[in-house]
Amino acid sequence: MADVGAGVRRESLVAALEQVARGDQRALEDVYMATCAKLFGVCLRICQDRAAAEDILQQVYIKVWDRAGRFDPDRASPITWLCAIARNTALDWRRANQAPAHLPESAAEAIADATPLAWEAIASEQESARIVACLDGLDERARRAIHAAFYDGFTYLQLAQAMAVPLGTMKSWIRRALLQLRGCLGHD
Amino acid sequence: MTEALPEDLGALAAELALGLLDGEERTRAMRLCLSDPSFAAAVDRWRDQLLPLHGGFEEQPAPDLWPAIRRRLTGSHDDRLRRALRGWRIGAIASGALAASLAAVLVLRPQPVQVIHAPDRTAIAQLGSDEAPALLAANYDPSGGVLRIRALRMPASNLAPELWVIPQDGVPRSLGLVSTDGVSRVSVAASTRSLLRDGATLAITLEPREGAPHRAPSSAPIAAGKISTI
Repeated sequence: MADVGAGVRRESLVAALEQVARGDQRALEDVYMATCAKLFGVCLRICQDRAAAEDILQQVYIKVWDRAGRFDPDRASPITWLCAIARNTALDWRRANQAPAHLPESAAEAIADATPLAWEAIASEQESARIVACLDGLDERARRAIHAAFYDGFTYLQLAQAMAVPLGTMKSWIRRALLQLRGCLGHD
Repeated sequence: MTEALPEDLGALAAELALGLLDGEERTRAMRLCLSDPSFAAAVDRWRDQLLPLHGGFEEQPAPDLWPAIRRRLTGSHDDRLRRALRGWRIGAIASGALAASLAAVLVLRPQPVQVIHAPDRTAIAQLGSDEAPALLAANYDPSGGVLRIRALRMPASNLAPELWVIPQDGVPRSLGLVSTDGVSRVSVAASTRSLLRDGATLAITLEPREGAPHRAPSSAPIAAGKISTI
């Protein structure tokens, strides 16, 4: 899907965030209107609870209001920056509300089933997205683990417990996969 | 341009972007983000490339959410700090009047001596940005009360960089002069340690060497950043 509007949208978001940094509430409203569906999707996907996701979304835009001065358009695209705030806020909520001290045994299966539906939705929406193609090229267990880290906030330790393998094994699976991804994505 | 990172650092950047790390490994990676711009750029690049994974889940939140957010804006801590900093900047440019009034506030309202419990988590901050006149990275180890600050870029000046902490009340407290290059170790007074907490601002101004640490800044900050505890 060639998006000719993407560049324009990016520029107007950058400009709006600069205004937000100066304390302009109307600019924050513009940012909200342009991005709330996307960020709400990110929150909802991670916390799986509509009421909680709406509360998290409020926190996200308060953080955007507070931190807009720290956004650096040369370092990241505005939507990447916004999605990172939404993802981290939602993952914090998950850790505070849902993370069991020990992952249930069934978590291994939960990871094994990692929502092929959503995966297909991403692939069909953004067929050109290189990351999807590159992830598809990975060993299945590494791909599932990376998926669980990205969407569910699993750390190495939690992944090792959930998939019942030693921590060192989990790290070496994933590191190998990350290097493969790095090559596939054309870093450096 | 980013330089090529060695393989293990490249993997570390991806691990940080994905959130795989915790504990000491995460601390180390976050410090590296502040001290090594090419590593920070690699982390940003991973975040950009993972972004499409957020595609396909768009959903509209309830329509009354925006009014609820707007009501919460003015009370937020950073909104007050933002106004304080703006006032500081204007005052500093206009005259020394604001500095004098801040000094008066400090003299007239001495803080009672308290037993201070410092936060027990390492605190880090980046001061400035690529666009700001200066760029510094700080980390603070509460167990020793020592703040280490590395000057990555500093404008040439006859004045000396002075480090300030600005807590929630918006009043800058001097932590003393720091070096214009390399790493400075700042011993933080026991009474000031509790101010070095998440959300407080660290700022650098250029000040005359005489009389440091000063009661209040005489000029606008050339670099500032928030403290995050990790």
